[in-house]
Amino acid sequence: MKVIADFHNHSCLSPCASLDMSPSLLARQARARGLELVALTDHNSALNAPAWLECARREGLVPLFGLEATSIEEVHVLCLFGTVDEALGFGEYLRVRLLPLPYDRRRLGDQVVVDADEGVVDLPEIYFGAALTLGFDELCAVGRAWDALVIPAHIDRPMFGAISQLGFLPEGPYQAVELMRPADRSLAAGHTVTTGSDAHYPEHIGRRPFGIELPPGWKQADGLADMAILAAALRPELINLPGQP
Amino acid sequence: MKTSDLAGHFGLETIQAEFTDAEISAGYTSDLLSDVMGKAGDSDVLITIQAHKNTVAVAGLVGIGSVIICNARPIPDDMIASAREEGIALFRTPLSQFEVSGQLYAVLHGLSAIPRSDAPVANRA
Repeated sequence: MKVIADFHNHSCLSPCASLDMSPSLLARQARARGLELVALTDHNSALNAPAWLECARREGLVPLFGLEATSIEEVHVLCLFGTVDEALGFGEYLRVRLLPLPYDRRRLGDQVVVDADEGVVDLPEIYFGAALTLGFDELCAVGRAWDALVIPAHIDRPMFGAISQLGFLPEGPYQAVELMRPADRSLAAGHTVTTGSDAHYPEHIGRRPFGIELPPGWKQADGLADMAILAAALRPELINLPGQP
Repeated sequence: MKTSDLAGHFGLETIQAEFTDAEISAGYTSDLLSDVMGKAGDSDVLITIQAHKNTVAVAGLVGIGSVIICNARPIPDDMIASAREEGIALFRTPLSQFEVSGQLYAVLHGLSAIPRSDAPVANRA
Protein backbone atom coordinates (compact mmCIF):
# COMPACT_ATOMS: atom_id res chain seq x y z
CA MET A 1 0.00 0.00 0.00
CA LYS A 2 1.05 3.55 -0.71
CA VAL A 3 1.74 5.53 2.47
CA ILE A 4 2.24 9.28 2.69
CA ALA A 5 5.32 9.91 4.79
CA ASP A 6 7.14 12.92 6.18
CA PHE A 7 10.44 12.27 7.94
CA HIS A 8 11.37 15.81 9.01
CA ASN A 9 9.39 17.95 11.48
CA HIS A 10 10.31 20.10 14.46
CA SER A 11 8.41 20.88 17.62
CA CYS A 12 8.64 23.66 20.20
CA LEU A 13 11.67 21.85 21.63
CA SER A 14 13.77 23.13 18.73
CA PRO A 15 14.96 26.64 19.61
CA CYS A 16 14.43 27.83 16.04
CA ALA A 17 10.88 26.45 15.75
CA SER A 18 7.66 28.27 16.58
CA LEU A 19 6.28 27.88 20.08
CA ASP A 20 3.02 27.00 18.34
CA MET A 21 4.58 23.73 17.17
CA SER A 22 3.35 21.48 19.94
CA PRO A 23 3.36 17.75 19.20
CA SER A 24 -0.38 17.98 19.53
CA LEU A 25 -0.71 20.62 16.80
CA LEU A 26 1.80 18.78 14.60
CA ALA A 27 -0.26 15.59 14.84
CA ARG A 28 -3.58 17.34 14.12
CA GLN A 29 -2.24 19.29 11.16
CA ALA A 30 -0.36 16.28 9.81
CA ARG A 31 -3.54 14.25 9.77
CA ALA A 32 -5.52 17.12 8.26
CA ARG A 33 -2.94 17.36 5.47
CA GLY A 34 -3.08 13.66 4.69
CA LEU A 35 0.15 12.43 6.23
CA GLU A 36 0.25 8.90 7.68
CA LEU A 37 3.83 8.09 8.70
CA VAL A 38 5.32 11.12 10.44
CA ALA A 39 8.62 11.71 12.21
CA LEU A 40 9.34 14.24 14.91
CA THR A 41 12.95 15.34 14.49
CA ASP A 42 14.01 18.08 16.87
CA HIS A 43 17.57 19.34 16.85
CA ASN A 44 19.83 16.99 18.85
CA SER A 45 17.07 15.94 21.25
CA ALA A 46 14.11 13.58 21.43
CA LEU A 47 12.64 14.88 24.68
CA ASN A 48 9.25 15.49 23.04
CA ALA A 49 9.06 11.90 21.80
CA PRO A 50 6.77 10.72 24.65
CA ALA A 51 4.25 13.45 23.82
CA TRP A 52 4.63 12.68 20.13
CA LEU A 53 3.69 9.04 20.69
CA GLU A 54 0.50 10.00 22.46
CA CYS A 55 -0.48 12.77 20.05
CA ALA A 56 0.22 10.68 16.96
CA ARG A 57 -1.83 7.78 18.33
CA ARG A 58 -4.69 10.12 19.08
CA GLU A 59 -4.77 11.21 15.44
CA GLY A 60 -4.27 7.72 14.00
CA LEU A 61 -0.79 8.51 12.64
CA VAL A 62 2.13 6.11 12.70
CA PRO A 63 4.90 8.01 14.53
CA LEU A 64 8.63 7.88 14.04
CA PHE A 65 10.84 9.18 16.82
CA GLY A 66 13.86 10.98 15.55
CA LEU A 67 16.45 13.65 16.00
CA GLU A 68 18.09 15.98 13.56
CA ALA A 69 21.67 15.67 14.75
CA THR A 70 24.31 18.31 13.98
CA SER A 71 27.82 17.06 13.22
CA ILE A 72 30.86 19.11 14.16
CA GLU A 73 31.03 20.26 10.52
CA GLU A 74 27.44 21.51 11.00
CA VAL A 75 25.93 18.92 8.70
CA HIS A 76 22.38 17.99 9.74
CA VAL A 77 21.55 14.28 9.83
CA LEU A 78 18.13 12.72 10.48
CA CYS A 79 18.29 9.70 12.79
CA LEU A 80 14.93 7.92 12.99
CA PHE A 81 13.76 5.28 15.45
CA GLY A 82 10.64 3.18 15.81
CA THR A 83 10.26 3.58 19.57
CA VAL A 84 10.36 6.38 22.12
CA ASP A 85 12.95 4.61 24.27
CA GLU A 86 15.46 4.20 21.46
CA ALA A 87 15.14 7.85 20.51
CA LEU A 88 15.49 9.00 24.12
CA GLY A 89 18.51 6.74 24.59
CA PHE A 90 20.22 8.10 21.50
CA GLY A 91 19.32 11.62 22.63
CA GLU A 92 21.07 10.98 25.94
CA TYR A 93 24.13 9.70 24.07
CA LEU A 94 24.21 12.89 22.01
CA ARG A 95 23.44 15.27 24.89
CA VAL A 96 26.80 14.72 26.55
CA ARG A 97 28.49 15.23 23.20
CA LEU A 98 27.00 18.64 22.47
CA LEU A 99 29.41 21.57 22.46
CA PRO A 100 28.60 23.39 25.70
CA LEU A 101 27.55 26.75 24.26
CA PRO A 102 25.94 29.35 26.49
CA TYR A 103 22.18 29.30 26.02
CA ASP A 104 20.24 32.56 26.18
CA ARG A 105 16.64 31.69 25.38
CA ARG A 106 15.72 35.30 24.59
CA ARG A 107 18.27 35.39 21.78
CA LEU A 108 18.28 31.77 20.66
CA GLY A 109 14.65 30.82 21.18
CA ASP A 110 12.73 28.72 23.66
CA GLN A 111 13.22 24.96 24.06
CA VAL A 112 10.08 23.51 25.54
CA VAL A 113 9.43 19.93 26.56
CA VAL A 114 5.66 19.46 26.63
CA ASP A 115 3.12 16.77 27.32
CA ALA A 116 0.49 15.63 24.87
CA ASP A 117 -1.84 18.42 25.97
CA GLU A 118 0.60 21.32 25.59
CA GLY A 119 1.46 21.42 29.30
CA VAL A 120 5.04 22.53 29.91
CA VAL A 121 7.12 19.69 31.37
CA ASP A 122 10.61 21.15 31.25
CA LEU A 123 12.75 23.99 29.86
CA PRO A 124 16.17 22.39 29.33
CA GLU A 125 19.14 24.67 29.98
CA ILE A 126 21.47 22.99 27.50
CA TYR A 127 21.46 24.50 23.99
CA PHE A 128 20.23 21.89 21.53
CA GLY A 129 21.03 24.11 18.56
CA ALA A 130 24.75 23.55 19.16
CA ALA A 131 26.89 21.21 17.10
CA LEU A 132 28.02 17.85 18.45
CA THR A 133 31.65 16.96 18.95
CA LEU A 134 31.09 14.06 16.53
CA GLY A 135 32.29 14.34 12.94
CA PHE A 136 29.79 13.63 10.17
CA ASP A 137 31.20 10.18 9.34
CA GLU A 138 31.31 9.14 12.98
CA LEU A 139 27.81 10.49 13.62
CA CYS A 140 26.37 8.47 10.73
CA ALA A 141 28.20 5.33 11.86
CA VAL A 142 27.03 5.78 15.45
CA GLY A 143 23.46 6.33 14.28
CA ARG A 144 23.55 3.05 12.36
CA ALA A 145 25.09 1.29 15.35
CA TRP A 146 22.08 2.48 17.37
CA ASP A 147 19.84 0.98 14.66
CA ALA A 148 18.56 4.33 13.46
CA LEU A 149 17.55 5.07 9.92
CA VAL A 150 20.29 7.53 8.97
CA ILE A 151 19.36 10.15 6.40
CA PRO A 152 21.54 13.22 5.77
CA ALA A 153 19.07 16.12 5.78
CA HIS A 154 18.49 18.65 2.98
CA ILE A 155 21.80 17.90 1.31
CA ASP A 156 20.93 20.50 -1.34
CA ARG A 157 20.39 23.36 1.12
CA PRO A 158 22.88 26.25 0.99
CA MET A 159 23.59 25.81 4.73
CA PHE A 160 23.72 22.83 7.12
CA GLY A 161 23.60 20.23 4.36
CA ALA A 162 26.35 17.74 3.51
CA ILE A 163 27.13 19.48 0.24
CA SER A 164 27.24 23.06 1.55
CA GLN A 165 29.44 22.09 4.49
CA LEU A 166 31.59 19.37 2.92
CA GLY A 167 31.57 20.23 -0.80
CA PHE A 168 30.02 16.92 -1.81
CA LEU A 169 28.27 14.00 -0.13
CA PRO A 170 30.92 11.67 1.32
CA GLU A 171 30.36 7.94 1.00
CA GLY A 172 28.53 6.62 4.03
CA PRO A 173 26.06 4.12 5.45
CA TYR A 174 22.94 6.17 4.68
CA GLN A 175 19.59 4.51 4.03
CA ALA A 176 18.53 7.58 2.03
CA VAL A 177 19.34 11.24 1.57
CA GLU A 178 16.86 14.09 1.86
CA LEU A 179 16.51 16.65 -0.92
CA MET A 180 14.55 19.89 -0.82
CA ARG A 181 14.32 19.98 -4.61
CA PRO A 182 14.06 16.38 -5.75
CA ALA A 183 13.72 17.34 -9.41
CA ASP A 184 17.51 17.16 -9.61
CA ARG A 185 18.56 13.89 -8.07
CA SER A 186 22.14 14.02 -9.31
CA LEU A 187 23.30 15.41 -5.94
CA ALA A 188 22.10 12.23 -4.22
CA ALA A 189 24.94 10.23 -5.80
CA GLY A 190 22.77 7.18 -6.37
CA HIS A 191 21.25 7.05 -2.88
CA THR A 192 17.52 6.68 -2.34
CA VAL A 193 15.96 10.13 -2.11
CA THR A 194 13.33 11.24 0.40
CA THR A 195 11.83 14.64 1.00
CA GLY A 196 10.71 16.19 4.28
CA SER A 197 8.79 19.28 5.30
CA ASP A 198 11.41 20.45 7.83
CA ALA A 199 8.41 22.10 9.49
CA HIS A 200 9.34 24.82 11.99
CA TYR A 201 5.98 26.66 11.73
CA PRO A 202 2.43 25.30 11.47
CA GLU A 203 2.12 26.43 7.85
CA HIS A 204 5.12 24.26 6.92
CA ILE A 205 3.45 21.02 8.02
CA GLY A 206 2.89 18.71 5.07
CA ARG A 207 4.66 20.88 2.50
CA ARG A 208 7.11 18.22 1.23
CA PRO A 209 5.89 14.69 2.00
CA PHE A 210 6.72 11.68 -0.15
CA GLY A 211 4.89 8.48 -0.99
CA ILE A 212 6.32 5.08 -0.14
CA GLU A 213 5.00 1.65 -1.13
CA LEU A 214 4.97 -0.53 2.00
CA PRO A 215 4.03 -4.21 2.27
CA PRO A 216 1.42 -5.56 4.72
CA GLY A 217 2.79 -5.70 8.24
CA TRP A 218 4.59 -2.37 8.10
CA LYS A 219 2.22 -1.09 10.79
CA GLN A 220 2.55 -3.29 13.86
CA ALA A 221 -0.24 -4.26 16.22
CA ASP A 222 0.95 -1.59 18.67
CA GLY A 223 0.47 1.07 15.98
CA LEU A 224 4.20 1.62 15.52
CA ALA A 225 6.18 1.11 12.34
CA ASP A 226 8.18 -2.05 11.69
CA MET A 227 11.56 -0.44 11.12
CA ALA A 228 13.05 -3.41 9.28
CA ILE A 229 10.21 -3.31 6.76
CA LEU A 230 10.54 0.45 6.46
CA ALA A 231 14.31 0.29 5.94
CA ALA A 232 13.88 -2.38 3.26
CA ALA A 233 11.34 -0.21 1.44
CA LEU A 234 13.64 2.80 1.16
CA ARG A 235 14.33 2.04 -2.48
CA PRO A 236 13.94 4.48 -5.36
CA GLU A 237 11.41 2.31 -7.20
CA LEU A 238 9.13 2.24 -4.14
CA ILE A 239 9.17 5.98 -3.51
CA ASN A 240 7.14 8.75 -5.12
CA LEU A 241 8.71 12.15 -4.74
CA PRO A 242 6.85 15.46 -5.03
CA GLY A 243 6.35 16.36 -8.68
CA GLN A 244 6.35 12.74 -9.81
CA PRO A 245 3.14 10.99 -10.93
CA MET B 1 56.60 32.38 0.03
CA LYS B 2 56.50 28.62 -0.40
CA THR B 3 54.51 25.89 1.30
CA SER B 4 57.64 24.79 3.13
CA ASP B 5 57.97 28.29 4.65
CA LEU B 6 54.56 28.20 6.31
CA ALA B 7 55.19 26.07 9.37
CA GLY B 8 58.36 27.70 10.54
CA HIS B 9 57.27 31.26 9.99
CA PHE B 10 53.78 31.14 11.46
CA GLY B 11 54.34 28.69 14.27
CA LEU B 12 52.13 26.05 12.70
CA GLU B 13 52.15 22.44 13.74
CA THR B 14 52.93 20.27 10.72
CA ILE B 15 50.43 17.42 10.56
CA GLN B 16 51.21 16.05 7.10
CA ALA B 17 54.64 16.84 5.74
CA GLU B 18 54.74 14.79 2.53
CA PHE B 19 53.81 17.49 0.02
CA THR B 20 54.95 19.00 -3.22
CA ASP B 21 56.49 22.35 -2.39
CA ALA B 22 54.85 25.21 -4.27
CA GLU B 23 54.70 28.98 -4.37
CA ILE B 24 51.86 30.49 -2.35
CA SER B 25 50.48 33.71 -3.74
CA ALA B 26 47.24 34.04 -1.77
CA GLY B 27 45.02 32.48 0.84
CA TYR B 28 41.36 31.54 0.94
CA THR B 29 39.49 31.51 4.25
CA SER B 30 36.22 29.60 4.43
CA ASP B 31 34.50 26.85 6.37
CA LEU B 32 31.99 25.98 3.65
CA LEU B 33 33.66 23.57 1.28
CA SER B 34 31.03 24.25 -1.39
CA ASP B 35 32.26 27.84 -1.30
CA VAL B 36 35.90 26.75 -1.47
CA MET B 37 35.13 24.64 -4.56
CA GLY B 38 33.68 27.60 -6.39
CA LYS B 39 35.90 30.43 -5.24
CA ALA B 40 39.37 29.36 -4.14
CA GLY B 41 42.33 29.61 -6.50
CA ASP B 42 44.98 27.03 -7.21
CA SER B 43 47.89 28.81 -5.54
CA ASP B 44 45.95 29.54 -2.38
CA VAL B 45 46.51 28.13 1.04
CA LEU B 46 43.17 27.14 2.56
CA ILE B 47 42.49 28.49 6.05
CA THR B 48 39.58 26.67 7.70
CA ILE B 49 38.23 24.85 10.73
CA GLN B 50 36.63 22.18 8.55
CA ALA B 51 38.74 19.15 9.50
CA HIS B 52 37.18 16.44 7.34
CA LYS B 53 38.64 14.26 4.60
CA ASN B 54 36.41 16.10 2.12
CA THR B 55 38.52 19.20 2.79
CA VAL B 56 41.45 17.39 1.20
CA ALA B 57 39.31 16.18 -1.70
CA VAL B 58 38.07 19.69 -2.38
CA ALA B 59 41.58 21.10 -2.07
CA GLY B 60 42.76 18.50 -4.58
CA LEU B 61 39.94 19.40 -6.94
CA VAL B 62 40.74 23.11 -6.82
CA GLY B 63 44.50 22.56 -6.89
CA ILE B 64 45.16 23.87 -3.39
CA GLY B 65 48.43 22.47 -2.06
CA SER B 66 48.20 23.34 1.62
CA VAL B 67 45.54 23.50 4.31
CA ILE B 68 45.75 25.19 7.72
CA ILE B 69 43.29 23.87 10.32
CA CYS B 70 42.56 26.59 12.88
CA ASN B 71 41.36 26.65 16.49
CA ALA B 72 43.31 23.44 17.19
CA ARG B 73 40.45 21.34 15.84
CA PRO B 74 41.03 17.59 16.04
CA ILE B 75 42.01 16.14 12.66
CA PRO B 76 40.69 12.66 11.82
CA ASP B 77 43.19 10.04 10.69
CA ASP B 78 41.46 9.49 7.35
CA MET B 79 41.93 13.18 6.55
CA ILE B 80 45.67 12.93 7.21
CA ALA B 81 45.88 9.75 5.13
CA SER B 82 44.16 11.30 2.14
CA ALA B 83 46.31 14.44 2.43
CA ARG B 84 49.36 12.17 2.26
CA GLU B 85 47.97 10.37 -0.79
CA GLU B 86 47.25 13.67 -2.52
CA GLY B 87 50.53 15.28 -1.48
CA ILE B 88 48.72 18.13 0.24
CA ALA B 89 50.40 19.81 3.20
CA LEU B 90 48.39 19.87 6.41
CA PHE B 91 49.07 22.28 9.24
CA ARG B 92 47.30 23.06 12.49
CA THR B 93 47.29 26.06 14.79
CA PRO B 94 45.50 27.16 17.94
CA LEU B 95 44.94 30.54 16.26
CA SER B 96 41.63 31.53 14.68
CA GLN B 97 41.03 31.89 10.95
CA PHE B 98 41.14 35.67 11.41
CA GLU B 99 44.57 35.65 13.05
CA VAL B 100 46.10 33.30 10.48
CA SER B 101 44.54 35.17 7.56
CA GLY B 102 45.79 38.50 8.90
CA GLN B 103 49.34 37.28 9.39
CA LEU B 104 49.49 35.63 5.98
CA TYR B 105 47.92 38.60 4.24
CA ALA B 106 50.44 40.97 5.78
CA VAL B 107 53.37 38.88 4.61
CA LEU B 108 52.03 38.20 1.11
CA HIS B 109 51.28 41.88 0.56
CA GLY B 110 54.58 43.11 1.94
CA LEU B 111 52.95 44.79 4.92
CA SER B 112 55.28 43.06 7.32
CA ALA B 113 58.45 41.05 7.17
CA ILE B 114 58.06 37.31 7.43
CA PRO B 115 58.09 36.70 11.17
CA ARG B 116 61.15 34.85 12.37
CA SER B 117 60.47 31.28 13.19
CA ASP B 118 61.85 31.71 16.70
CA ALA B 119 59.72 34.77 17.43
CA PRO B 120 56.80 34.22 19.79
CA VAL B 121 53.48 33.80 18.02
CA ALA B 122 50.37 35.37 19.52
CA ASN B 123 48.33 32.56 20.96
CA ARG B 124 44.81 33.11 22.14
CA ALA B 125 43.81 29.49 22.43
